[in-house]
Amino acid sequence: MRLRTGPIVTRIRSELPAIAQALGTVYREHIIEAPDTFADFHVRVAHPAGLRRWLKPQVVFEFDGAPPFLPLPAEQAFAILEWGLNWCISANCHHYLVIHAAVVERSGRALLLPAPPGSGKSTLCAGLVNRDWRLLSDELALLDPLSGSVVPLARPVSLKNASIEVIRRFAPGAVLSATVHDTLKGSVAHMKPPGEAVRRALEPARPRWVVMPRYQAGAAAQLRPLSRGSAFMQLAESAFNYPVFGRQGFELLASTVEACDCYEFTYGELESAVGILAELAAEK
Amino acid sequence: MRWRIATADKLNWRRFGEEIVVRSEHTGSTHHLDSLAAELLHTLLTAEAALSADELAVRLAGEQEPPPELSPSIEATLLEFRRLGIAEPSD
Repeated sequence: MRLRTGPIVTRIRSELPAIAQALGTVYREHIIEAPDTFADFHVRVAHPAGLRRWLKPQVVFEFDGAPPFLPLPAEQAFAILEWGLNWCISANCHHYLVIHAAVVERSGRALLLPAPPGSGKSTLCAGLVNRDWRLLSDELALLDPLSGSVVPLARPVSLKNASIEVIRRFAPGAVLSATVHDTLKGSVAHMKPPGEAVRRALEPARPRWVVMPRYQAGAAAQLRPLSRGSAFMQLAESAFNYPVFGRQGFELLASTVEACDCYEFTYGELESAVGILAELAAEK
Repeated sequence: MRWRIATADKLNWRRFGEEIVVRSEHTGSTHHLDSLAAELLHTLLTAEAALSADELAVRLAGEQEPPPELSPSIEATLLEFRRLGIAEPSD
């Protein structure tokens, strides 16, 4: 199949039932392009050759016929596909500045949430998109150097460990893939993106806020202003291909933070966190 | 010793209030400068000629007499700029 996620078309091949089932669950509203549509990436998830097909079976992700990373247990087939798709973009999409960040939109304005793993970024993103924010991406913000806008991907939101149950309670109507345990990241599930996000996946948005989230159990939700210089440096450090862009990347990030209000954000409970960010969006 | 920006056409910079972010095309590194370092860089970027630490101190102090510790702080910062490839001695 040729799966469209925003501007990117990926040809996905797999004979694994788990892949078909997961795609049918969390990608069921996405556009499947015709077989003769140009594909940006060609990937495959399959059992590796040899004994690992049957003995403690594994799966391997292939990009253009070659595996960029090691196989994983077969139960992690969909997870390896999602991680592989992330790798495809971060390693190859150099027509965008690719920032490790969640990004959501409200009223045409994008909220960038750059943060390292474990910061609560994806949980917060999942919460926001279940409360009137549009999902652009939970993991990779694609910043277009020509327009300065963020281009959506609208792919499933990756949830880990305790966040899975948090989102099940926060959004009982959300559709989640089956939970896979014992991955390198612990237990993992993927939340189907809201239908509106998928339907509007070709609508970019101009950045208006840069918010660095940090989950801290028991903490009250609090926004603290962050200097633009500090925000710039954190965005640069979070951008996979900032060195590739050179001066253009520098100018792009500088213009981005100039146009944004920047904050650090600590939160311990999702409902109040979402409320604080709704107030932020309502201010201006 | 007088100092100047090292290859000014190879420095990308942007000022945000009292901060400056600067990238050297020579090294590819990006740096975040605030307070004294930012003012120092901005002064060098806009200067017509190379300046000594004492001359920079006078400019940064404005109408006030430069405090005695300012020149040594500037010298230390200029040495750091040199290490980062941002500034260089002109003589």
